[in-house]
Amino acid sequence: MPLWLEMLILMLLTYASGLGIGWFYWNRGGRRR
Amino acid sequence: MNAHRYILVIAGAVATSLISFASIVAHGPAFIAQVEAKAGKARDAAGGKDITLRFTTSQGWLTRHPELDGGADTPRDIRQRTASAIFVSPGVGGVHWNPDPTRMADTKGGPPRTPTLHCQDRVEGILRVRSIRFSEASAAIDPASGALLDEVAAALRPCVGSIIAITGHTDAMGSESANIRLSRDRAESIRKALIRRGIPAAGLRARGEGSGQPLEGLDPSDPANRRIEFSVISIRPLDPTPVDTPSAG
Repeated sequence: MPLWLEMLILMLLTYASGLGIGWFYWNRGGRRR
Repeated sequence: MNAHRYILVIAGAVATSLISFASIVAHGPAFIAQVEAKAGKARDAAGGKDITLRFTTSQGWLTRHPELDGGADTPRDIRQRTASAIFVSPGVGGVHWNPDPTRMADTKGGPPRTPTLHCQDRVEGILRVRSIRFSEASAAIDPASGALLDEVAAALRPCVGSIIAITGHTDAMGSESANIRLSRDRAESIRKALIRRGIPAAGLRARGEGSGQPLEGLDPSDPANRRIEFSVISIRPLDPTPVDTPSAG
């Protein structure tokens, strides 16, 4: 597996998990308008 | 979620991809050089000095999964130890051997030999002194041959990954069409018995030759021509090295 592909997968997984955590807290009531 | 947010998420993904690619361009070569130096030291310490390491993929990309090559004159245990040492070297994600079977020439000047053919020899050795018995004019395997089949399955296990042909032969008594059918059914019974013993079905081929290929020097009607032959078609020699397991780090 090329190094760039490993890095890309790792970074995109990190990004997606960040989005997931953000989405979870946002919908849990953390959002204040 | 509205379209604006989708665009934002996708833009984030694109930016992440660009950052990862740019970081590999900037730091990849230095990182791989470091990994390569450590793997080279591990290789030398394990005694496989004439084994070469290639830290690029077939497309030319840098990788943490080196391809090992050469070392044809190095004994198998040293090759194995070298591969294991490289595998546990820091930063290495996994190792694999160059899949060129000619590298397996294990004697200087001798014919190239692949490990898969060794297991064919073992099976032939087992069947030279004993044979798998069937009920008269039937494809049902004699229960007494169960232990022998266990041994055959154990001998074939190192060949898993290659195609193993099981060929049934009969003597020339009776009609040829019935003989072909019987020899094919018997080969198929052996195939099923080996599958039950854990040999993957995908690699096993059964075929019947009838009485068309009698043993050399024997009369075609001699009952000794009734037999099952195994031939291993070497398509992927297996190397007892750690599997190519990607790991973080």
